[in-house]
Amino acid sequence: MDYSFQWNWVGLQNYAQMLSDPIAGKVFNNTLLYVFSTLTFFNVGAALVISLITVHIPERVGQGYRALWLLPRITPSTVYALLWLWAVRQDPTALFNWILGFFGMEPVNWLHKHPWPIVILVNGFVGASFGMIIFTAALKSIPADYIRAARVDGASTFQIIRHIELPLIKWPLMFVTAYQTLSLLTSYEYILLVTNGGPGYYTTEVWALYSYHLAFAQYGGIVKFGYGAALATVLVILGLVLSIVYWRVFRLKELMIEPKIEV
Amino acid sequence: MRRKGASKPVTVLVALIVGVLIGAVIGYALSPKAPVTTTVTAPSGDLEKLKAENEQLKAKVEELTKKLASAGEGEITIKIWTIGPDPPSEYRLKNFQIAAEMLNKWLAALGSKVRIKIDGQFFVRPVEWGEYKNKFYLAYKSGKAPDIYLTGHEDVGFLAANGYIIPLDDYIKEYWDVVYYDVIPTLWEAVKYQGKIWAVPQDTEARPIYFRKDVLKKLGWSDEEIAQLPEKVKRGEFTLKDLLEVAKEAVDKGLVERGILHRVKEGYDYFQFYLAYGGRLWDAESGKMVFTKSAWRKTLQWFHDAVWKYKVISPTQFSGDWDKDFHGPFTQGKALFLSGGTWHKGEWVSKGLLTNEEFNENIGYMLHPAGEPGKKPVTLSHPLIYTITKQAQERGVADVAFLLITLVTDPHLNANHAVQSSHLAILYSEISDSRYKKEPFLADVAYMLDYTTFIPNHPKWGDYSRIVFNVLRGVESGDLTPDQAFNELLNGIKGLGSDAVIIED
Repeated sequence: MDYSFQWNWVGLQNYAQMLSDPIAGKVFNNTLLYVFSTLTFFNVGAALVISLITVHIPERVGQGYRALWLLPRITPSTVYALLWLWAVRQDPTALFNWILGFFGMEPVNWLHKHPWPIVILVNGFVGASFGMIIFTAALKSIPADYIRAARVDGASTFQIIRHIELPLIKWPLMFVTAYQTLSLLTSYEYILLVTNGGPGYYTTEVWALYSYHLAFAQYGGIVKFGYGAALATVLVILGLVLSIVYWRVFRLKELMIEPKIEV
Repeated sequence: MRRKGASKPVTVLVALIVGVLIGAVIGYALSPKAPVTTTVTAPSGDLEKLKAENEQLKAKVEELTKKLASAGEGEITIKIWTIGPDPPSEYRLKNFQIAAEMLNKWLAALGSKVRIKIDGQFFVRPVEWGEYKNKFYLAYKSGKAPDIYLTGHEDVGFLAANGYIIPLDDYIKEYWDVVYYDVIPTLWEAVKYQGKIWAVPQDTEARPIYFRKDVLKKLGWSDEEIAQLPEKVKRGEFTLKDLLEVAKEAVDKGLVERGILHRVKEGYDYFQFYLAYGGRLWDAESGKMVFTKSAWRKTLQWFHDAVWKYKVISPTQFSGDWDKDFHGPFTQGKALFLSGGTWHKGEWVSKGLLTNEEFNENIGYMLHPAGEPGKKPVTLSHPLIYTITKQAQERGVADVAFLLITLVTDPHLNANHAVQSSHLAILYSEISDSRYKKEPFLADVAYMLDYTTFIPNHPKWGDYSRIVFNVLRGVESGDLTPDQAFNELLNGIKGLGSDAVIIED
């Protein structure tokens, strides 16, 4: 279906078009890069590091630090994106270039020169808060006796983290990984606001954004609901497949079953 | 202390009164005297013509009044959607409000108790064309379409083919002698689809290349050379390559920060460079769009060279901001050339970026130069049009809607729009409108219409345009070499199908 809003049955034509779409391959690779990087460095990685640090420092400081990390999440997305655009603009007074200035370096057009790191940072700062809350809650629910016993046995903080805390938060870790993978696959809001898929030739265009652009947002008002929907369907299928993979690999079934003993 | 405090306000008051009196006396002495009232007699031919048109219009209103009598008392609301997106184009809607006021006075004079009310919207940036059109399609499908819908002429084909709008041939025949005989004939071609007329032209424009005269002077050009530049372009003696050379010289000498500016978002302007290299957009015989390989190769190379060899276009121009990367640098004299539209002059003046005097003194304008010797200079026009939706007909208000369109297709009202927004006249009589004539810019650019091309009225034109835009964005950013860009472009265009595009060498 296009802007004529005529429901014409075209069979699998839209899917066949996808195979010959010269842009689809590039957009798919972009999506993999975006999901993997944001997930690894922020939505799971940074979230875990923040949680571990903030539960091992004085409670008040830890709470304050975590509250700061929630700010991007509770800021309206357009305001948040604008703040980033101001911070990375080419002017020497913009935050990033102001810092470079201390080292005597020339101002950089960050969005043009390094679009991917910026896209990952923008999304990561928002995405880390979810995992941070889950991991912190999980870490805090570890009985204090385990930690005390380890300390009495002479374990260092690193050893406590490595041998006690991480194994005990394995389920939340796997759940957040699975959940955030699916969430990132379909997200495009901040990319739309910050780079709109650019600069250049589909540089940061991800699958969900490509689907949105084709279906709703083209200059001449051309809308490709049919093709856009077919692209979005691919995400649904990919999400289902990944869910099954995660279910099997992470053995999430064990997380869901009744506990073998009553706690 | 009290005495001192009380005397201060009195002194100030006395000083104020004395000041006002002195000011009034000076003002009286200096103010220009009111002009002596003279009776101006219109040429008898024009007067007769005007009388005849008014008589016909009156007859139409009377006829409509009789039809409306069945509606009894009350208001007929006509829903109208228009867009700038440049704010100075507000008369696209305002004129309807003026026309409705006029029509209501006539209805009152004729004893009708029906009144016309305008429920209008004028969309401006950040709403762009794509969003505006999508709003229309969705509103239409939910049964809430406007009765009158302003859009670009290139939409006529699919709006008509998909039953969004009604043909206007009968109406136009009926009102031909009132005003439509006066419409510049080429504009009718832009609103035809399958032999029928589906819309009424609202405006048209040309897309010049603006240049800074002050910068050229600093480059050592004489006043005469500067004045001759548009003529040289017209004769094909100044080409796109010369444009790069001059821009580079200005940048190298530090006279400007940027050599050439073009729009920062998607649009149709870029096709002018392709046309300048001899490319064709439309094959009238087959009704298909055209992709001329040689012209696209040269166009992509030109954009690549402009950014990476001559360094006169910024590689970030396409991710720029309208104010910071387009209007601002040019009006502040920090850029030498700007590929824009006639309406930008209106925008600069209304935004206060330039006064009319500054514009006349420092800014020149010319066609987009020929790509190479032997080719022709070009511009591109994109007439906007008023359509009447099928839902207006279903609601029984198509007659009133058309009468309103007829009333705004008036030399005086359309000149309101043309002068304020720097668009070009659609009526012959508008060209002789006193305000239009006072605007030398509009008269100066009128010749450009002899070099213009319309955007193809093809349902897949938007796809063609999108593929071109994305590829050009890739060339300027350095993501694609001209060869890679050409292959991407060709593949994309091939995907539109041979029933839509003719690919020629």
